[in-house]
Amino acid sequence: MIPDETTNQNANDQPTAVRSPAPQVLDRSARPAARSGMGHAVQVRGLNAYYGQLHSIKAVDLDCPANEVTALIGPSGSGKSTVIRCINRMHEEIPGARAEGSVKLDDLDVYDDDIDVTAVRRLVGMVFQKPNPFPTMSIFDNVAAGLRLTGTKSDNLRELVHRSLRGVGLWDEVKDRLNTPGIGLSGGQQQRLCIARTVAVEPEVILMDEPASALDPISTLKIEELIDELKERYTIVIVTHNMQQAARIADSTVFMLDGEVIEHGPTGEIFTNPKDERTERYVSGKFG
Amino acid sequence: MKETRHQYREALKELERKTLAGLDLVIGQLDRALESVSYQDVELAGMVVADDDRIDGRYLEVHQEILSLLARQAPVAGDLRIVAALLHTIRCVERMGDQCVNIAKLVPLSGYEAPKDKDILDTIERMGRLARWQVSQAKDAFATRSVELAQDLVRQDADINRLNREIFKRAVEVGDDPDAREWAMFMILVARCLERVGDNTVDIAEQTVFVVTGLFREFADTTAPATTPPETATTP
Amino acid sequence: MTISGLPAISARRRRTDQLVRGSLLAGFVLALIPLVLVIYYLIYKGISTWSWKFFSTDPNGNFLGYPGGIRSALLGSIEIVALATLISIPIGIGVALYLVEYGKDSPFASFVRYLTDVQTGVPSIVFGLFVYIVLVEAKVGGTGFAAWKGAVALALLMFPVASRSAEVVLLLVPASLREAALALGAPRWRVVVRVVLPTARSGLVTGSLLAVARGMGETAPLLFTTAGAFALTFNLNGQMNAMPLQIYNDILSPRTEVVNRAWGTALVLVALILILNLIARAVSRRSTA
Repeated sequence: MIPDETTNQNANDQPTAVRSPAPQVLDRSARPAARSGMGHAVQVRGLNAYYGQLHSIKAVDLDCPANEVTALIGPSGSGKSTVIRCINRMHEEIPGARAEGSVKLDDLDVYDDDIDVTAVRRLVGMVFQKPNPFPTMSIFDNVAAGLRLTGTKSDNLRELVHRSLRGVGLWDEVKDRLNTPGIGLSGGQQQRLCIARTVAVEPEVILMDEPASALDPISTLKIEELIDELKERYTIVIVTHNMQQAARIADSTVFMLDGEVIEHGPTGEIFTNPKDERTERYVSGKFG
Repeated sequence: MKETRHQYREALKELERKTLAGLDLVIGQLDRALESVSYQDVELAGMVVADDDRIDGRYLEVHQEILSLLARQAPVAGDLRIVAALLHTIRCVERMGDQCVNIAKLVPLSGYEAPKDKDILDTIERMGRLARWQVSQAKDAFATRSVELAQDLVRQDADINRLNREIFKRAVEVGDDPDAREWAMFMILVARCLERVGDNTVDIAEQTVFVVTGLFREFADTTAPATTPPETATTP
Repeated sequence: MTISGLPAISARRRRTDQLVRGSLLAGFVLALIPLVLVIYYLIYKGISTWSWKFFSTDPNGNFLGYPGGIRSALLGSIEIVALATLISIPIGIGVALYLVEYGKDSPFASFVRYLTDVQTGVPSIVFGLFVYIVLVEAKVGGTGFAAWKGAVALALLMFPVASRSAEVVLLLVPASLREAALALGAPRWRVVVRVVLPTARSGLVTGSLLAVARGMGETAPLLFTTAGAFALTFNLNGQMNAMPLQIYNDILSPRTEVVNRAWGTALVLVALILILNLIARAVSRRSTA
């Protein structure tokens, strides 16, 4: 249990309590519950990431407020995908890649020495660019996969799966064929299935790496609508190369260039009156 | 290789050019309206009224192109502020054109004889030159994105407002001749139209500052008597 | 005849086309001829020996009379190959899993890969000799020639085939699936067991069946390790009969009935391998459907 800590620590406060050994800290029942309006913020400080010798993320600081959508925009190679992969520590799965710095979920630094990486990933879910449901599993099994793969015992698995499918707006379309293969769905449905799979594990934060870029416009809008609903229960960080999408759905927007954060502010401001010349040029499409 | 969004950028520049050219049209109308007042030239006044169609047409054209640009190109940041400012400005152009028409319409009403009071006429002419100068400066301020020129317009507008009050005062003291008094009344209305033209140029100046800084500040209202310097103050 | 402006195919191009088609067809027929001849000859020579007695009696060593069937050879082959499969397939898939999931491009993994590649090329007789020296000569397990030692030799042969094909199939599993499973918080071993293996399952089965088919037909390793026997036996620690051994024995016999039996056995062997290949193909087609 975490001694001496209030549950509504602001992201900017430094924790004053002594941190107990990792396995206890990641006891899910000890984590502050995400009541509405009191979700989980992500705070990144001094993040540096490397691919072998290449220094790709340079001293990045980031604040993703709870229950909000934060979008990362920037040209290709600016490091936006790398940053979110550092938040759930997927970056280090690449051979030769490493990251250092601090990434805090409320008070918990995921880069602490004694943290179990798989536990971090249960708290921080991820949705990928290309929908990737497990081909050998049915729709039901796909949604339940997160729980089964992490060895999480669940009393009412069926209820949880149904709830997740309802939560992503897929229930009506698949309720009669939960046992058919997950890959039998259309692209947009598959992506929503992947989101249901992520949500079933009940994470605190959901990372999305260009979740709609492989989808047609209508499916894209459905996903955006879903993101708007999801942010009531989760904190969402989304990478997108579609600026209009960031403009539509993000509460705050971060502009990155060459591995650095150039500007970070409310989306309305970034798109009407950005402070940095480079941000202005990028959002106006003046980048040659 | 061309810059990205080349077509968009060209369209935006063209839009600005058209809008600012509208200000040139206004200057032309203003010149002729003032001339018709000075010389009681009813025919010239009639031309001013007819030519307002051109300004109206320009307004509709720019308005339509702005809508099209917003829908198709989704301008953001600085570009978005420019488009918003252009929309505002072309409305000012249209209003200024209407003021010129109002001036021109007063000419036949004010009688076919020569103007009566030299002082009033001089002041009107001075107001006219000032208004003309302000329109021209507003155009320069916007085109060069100059905050200094924009803020200077506020100062000049103070002058126009002062002259407006002078004419009112003169008109009140113009004397007993009923024809002269009637003519003076009409001159008050002309002065008011010119003062409105001045206000519109201040609007354009505010838009210029908005484009540059992203902040919208209404320049202090300088028409209130209490704010004028002591030497020109009048006791109402 | 032209279609509004497009030029017609020149006669020279037509001729070239026909020439190339012709030569490809000729090559194809040429390559097929030996195969067709072999199968035809096998059937022609061997089918007459097939009978119920053929499959239900053991070869007897008699000089006169019915020489016996091939029951002990058939069952012996199945026993030995089954044991070899039990040894080689799990190890083969295990090595492939290590190479793909954990070793990846490390120097050690590259070394293992290289050794496996070399092993696919080693002649089968070398494996036989190796097991002969290490297991038979040394009388490991108490006996000289033994069926299980033959299985070991076959396993050495089958392992690299199984491993290489498994590696190919495992590499075909999209990285995005592993990523998805990892991102859900699964430990790596669960990712392998619950996601990678099930996804690769049909490919792994196909590869294993092909390795088995290969093992079934090898003679040399068995010669030096199992040596053969006439009687049906289920004792893996002793000599056992196998179809290739049976053929080897029979083909040089002066008795025509025995020589015919060799043809019959060869036909059985080829038929079995054919069936295994068909099953492998059916499995792989069903999974991609």
